[in-house]
Amino acid sequence: MSAPSLPVTDLVSDPFWEGARAGKLMIQRCPVTGRHQWYPRAHSLHASGAVPDWVEASGRGTVFSFSTIHRGGQGDAPYVCALVMLEEDVLMLTRLEGIAADAIRVGMPVEVAFGAIAGSPVLPLFRPVEARA
Amino acid sequence: MSAISRAASIVGAYESPRRQAPRLHPFALQMECVMGALADAGITLSEVDGLCVAAGDWAEGGGVSSLTEFAEYAGITPTYFDSTDVGGCSYIVHAGHAAAAIAAGLAEVVVISYASCPRWWPLATPSFDPFVLPAGPGQFEIPYGPTLISAYAMYAQRHMALYGTTSEQLAKVAVTFRQHAAGNPDARFRAPITVDDVLASAPIASPLRKLDCCVVTDGGGAIVMTSRERARDCRKRPVHLAGFGSAAARTQLSQISPDIATPAAISGPRAFAMAGVDRDTIDVAQIYDAFTITPMLALEDLGFCPKGESGGFVDDGHLTLGGRLPTNTDGGGLSSNHPGKRGIFTLIEGVRQLRGEGPGIQVPDAEVALVHGLGGTFCAAATAILTV
Repeated sequence: MSAPSLPVTDLVSDPFWEGARAGKLMIQRCPVTGRHQWYPRAHSLHASGAVPDWVEASGRGTVFSFSTIHRGGQGDAPYVCALVMLEEDVLMLTRLEGIAADAIRVGMPVEVAFGAIAGSPVLPLFRPVEARA
Repeated sequence: MSAISRAASIVGAYESPRRQAPRLHPFALQMECVMGALADAGITLSEVDGLCVAAGDWAEGGGVSSLTEFAEYAGITPTYFDSTDVGGCSYIVHAGHAAAAIAAGLAEVVVISYASCPRWWPLATPSFDPFVLPAGPGQFEIPYGPTLISAYAMYAQRHMALYGTTSEQLAKVAVTFRQHAAGNPDARFRAPITVDDVLASAPIASPLRKLDCCVVTDGGGAIVMTSRERARDCRKRPVHLAGFGSAAARTQLSQISPDIATPAAISGPRAFAMAGVDRDTIDVAQIYDAFTITPMLALEDLGFCPKGESGGFVDDGHLTLGGRLPTNTDGGGLSSNHPGKRGIFTLIEGVRQLRGEGPGIQVPDAEVALVHGLGGTFCAAATAILTV
C-alpha cells in the first residue's frame, strides 16, 4: 500500500486541470481532422504539425474494461480502476464510483462525476448513468 | 533473405539455479551468469567485445548508466554495447541487435546478461519508473492508483467480455506450466496445482488472482552470441538466430489499442518473415508469462490461434507435450523464476530445448523454437526464432 500520488501539472495540461476545477471534462481535438485525442499533448496525433484545440467532452462513455484492486494499490483499496471509452472515441483511465464492483459490466454506460481521491485535486471520476424515467 | 538471419549463433547459455540470493548484489549474480555462459561456450572473458546490459531498474543493482557500471564490474571494455531497456523482453531485443552487429562486423563475441534480487534488495523503488511517476503523461493516470497487475487485469477483463474467455481457462495456463516445472529441479514451485487452486487463491486485481501471477524470485541468466562461422568451434551445438522482430507501442493505459492487440502483432510477423518459416514449423515456444493472460494474448497476436480463441487453445492442451505448441517447458515465470525482467530465460530455455537439455519437459528432436517476450504492460514486444 502506498499513498496517493498527486499530479504534477504543467503548461500543456493546465486547461485540463482548470476545467476539472470548474466541473468540465476538457480534452483535445485536431483542427485538421476533427479527431479527438487523450491524453493532452502540445501536438496533434492526427495531423503532422497541427496544434490541437481544447474542447469540452460530452462526459459520457462506456466501460471499456476495469479491475478491482485488492492488493498493492493505494491506501484506500479495494477500489475500481477502469478504462472508459468516451463518446469522442478516446480511452481514459479513471475510477468507477457509485456502483458495487460485482455489478460493473464491460460496455455499461457511464458519465463523468468530478471528485477527489484522498487529497488529490478535483479530477474526473465516472459513475453509472442514472436510469431515467 | 535478411543478411541477419542465421548469421549469428547462440553458443553459450546459463541460468543461475538460485531463486533466493540474500545479500548478493545483483552485479555479483549477473557476473556468475556471464562466466557460466562463457564456460558453456568455451570462450574466455577477455574475448568478449560486445556487452548488453539493462540493469537500471529496481533490484537490478545499476542506475541509468548500468552498461558502464556493469562493464566496469566485469572488468572489460566492450566496443559494441546495447542498453536498450523496454522491460522484460529487452534481452530478446539485445539478441536481435547483437545478431545485426555480428553480421555487420561490429562485434565478434557478445554477452547478454541479466540478474535481479527483488527478495533481498533493500532500497526503495526509483522515482523514474513510468508506472509510478505522476508527471507528464502519468499525471492523468497515476493519481487513480492503477497497479502493474491491474493493467494486465484490464486486458483480461476485456478479453473475457469480448470473447467469453473464462477464469478457468486463465487458470489452465498456470496449471499447465506448473506441470512443466515439476521436472525442473531449480523451479521455485514444483508441486502440482489445479484449476480450483487457482480460482481459490486470493484476489489481487480482478479478474487476476494470486496464482494467475508470476512467482517472485531472485535470479539471473546470460547467453553468448558469435558468428555462425566461429560457432562451429564452440563446445555445444550452435543455435542460430533465424528471425527477429520488435515493436514499442505505449506506456499509459489510455493508449491501449481498442482491439487490445499487443505489439506482438508487429514483432511476430517480422520475425517469421526474417526467418522464412511459418507457424507450423515451430516445435517449441517460450512465451513470457508474467500473468496467465500474458501468453494467451501473445498466442493470438503471434498467429497461433485466431483472435479471441486462446482460451480454447489452452483448454485443448496445446501448450504441453502432444499439443500444437509446447510452451514454457521449464515452468516459465508462473512457476520457475521471475526476478523482474524474464526475457533472458526465454532465450536460455529456447536454446536448451534445441540442444535437448530442457530441465522441465523436453520436446523430442526440437529443431525450431520461438522465443517471445513483452515489456512493461504489453508496452513493447520482441520475438526471436531460433534454429539448429
